[in-house]
Amino acid sequence: MIEYRDVYKAFDVPVLSGVSFTVESGETLAILGPSGTGKSVLLKTTIGLIVPDAGGVFIDGQSVFAADADQLQTIRRKAGYVFQNAALFDSMNVFENVAYGLPEGALKKLGRREVTRRVVRSLEEVNLDPSVVLTKLPAELSGGMRKRVGLARAIVGEPQILLYDEPVTGLDPVNAVAVDRLITDIAERTHVTSIVVTHDVEGALSISDRVSLLEGGKLRFLGTPDEFRRSADPLVRAFADRQAAVEAALAGSARSSRMADAKTPVLP
Amino acid sequence: MVMMKRAPGLVRAIGGVGATVARHAGGMGILAWRTLAALVQGQVSLRDFTGQLFAMGAQSLPLVLVTSVLSGIVTSQQGGYQFTGSIPLYVLGSVVTSSVVLELGPVLTAVVVIGRVGARITAELGTMQVSEQIDALYSLGRDPVKVLAAPRILAGMPAMILLVGISNLVGVLAGMLAARLTVGLGHATFLYGARLFWHSYDFFYSEMKAWAFGLLIPLISVHMGLLTRGGAEGVGRSTTSSVVFMIIAVLVCDALFPPLFLN
Repeated sequence: MIEYRDVYKAFDVPVLSGVSFTVESGETLAILGPSGTGKSVLLKTTIGLIVPDAGGVFIDGQSVFAADADQLQTIRRKAGYVFQNAALFDSMNVFENVAYGLPEGALKKLGRREVTRRVVRSLEEVNLDPSVVLTKLPAELSGGMRKRVGLARAIVGEPQILLYDEPVTGLDPVNAVAVDRLITDIAERTHVTSIVVTHDVEGALSISDRVSLLEGGKLRFLGTPDEFRRSADPLVRAFADRQAAVEAALAGSARSSRMADAKTPVLP
Repeated sequence: MVMMKRAPGLVRAIGGVGATVARHAGGMGILAWRTLAALVQGQVSLRDFTGQLFAMGAQSLPLVLVTSVLSGIVTSQQGGYQFTGSIPLYVLGSVVTSSVVLELGPVLTAVVVIGRVGARITAELGTMQVSEQIDALYSLGRDPVKVLAAPRILAGMPAMILLVGISNLVGVLAGMLAARLTVGLGHATFLYGARLFWHSYDFFYSEMKAWAFGLLIPLISVHMGLLTRGGAEGVGRSTTSSVVFMIIAVLVCDALFPPLFLN
């Protein structure tokens, strides 16, 4: 269980202004909100990558910010973090990047064969062909592949918590859906606790057990996807309606496309 | 009245610079301490250390050789021009040797290493910082000081000691050759002059400088790299600041050496 208790953080201006909520074990929570409302900052406080000015984060009852260096390392090892731009290490190939997700000294303790087995399994779980990508450098991968390698690195250590920072940003709709499906599959298969920071309302509603909306550094909404869709809150409505508008536009576009196809003369 | 109005601004500016220097010095002190702790606890990878030693030392060698050859030639030519007809030419051997060993070898090697290695380290770590690779290390339970900073900082000292040693030797040999070609001073006479005023301590003095510069350059470059914020522009800004700080630090340190160690 992850508990955020009255978290405050300011960088010149306030970013988080007293955020409190709890994520239950095995739950997938999506965090939505306008840009600059502190979603990623909140996610980074979860494992102490950013230290709040006040308040605290507790993982299974243990305070992240009262932990000493060893305890913090243990807390971080419980979590896998998927960064917005994957944050793969440029100088390492895919195998080395993913293997880096295993505990320090894994190569000595587990042996190369076992490390390779785990890396290959993680890559297969994110639908990447190890024989194709294993020796490639991050610069040789597409954006979607980089995100998947980042996800493979996050899950290779079999974490209890997965933190996703805008996992579909910058991806085309096909890859975005594929990544959303991966998040759902991993959550269902491993019962991992997941927090997903995203701008993609449709994806958030489809993958999460609960949805939250941050606005102005405060929690504006927290509820199930159905409650989100039915909410009367104007900001929630703006997000939900925008999604409905996008869906309608996509449906309209698909209809026009079919009509255009029907009218297109067959070339000799 | 104008002075009265300007004074607080000037005092504020001086105070601001002082605070900035103190903040950076404190940050680098902590970084050096944590590096030492990592070394003592055996948490620095030998593979990473040797990789950095190769990158800083062996890969800098060609440029250091060019610089040291040129510095030896120029010193010899200028000395020859000034001494011909006024001072016995064998003194040129001493002037070239002392100039190269005491000053030009360590300082010019430091400048080469700042440009080739220091700037690269700041840009590399700065890019890792702005692309969240440093955060990724933390999230994976790794300490960037142990993984990234310590191997670079620890490799700087042996790399500089080796480079300065080679630079001194090559600089003096180049100076000796130039003396023969320009003012016709034979090798034996050059070496006679060099030995006449040579102190064994000069060699240790030169290597002490190399050790100090070898600590300062990676320490500043790593510190500035890890402080980088703000995308590609931030990387450019911190790399420029880092190079300026490294040059100033090396020159200040160089100026402090004679009063501290040459009396």
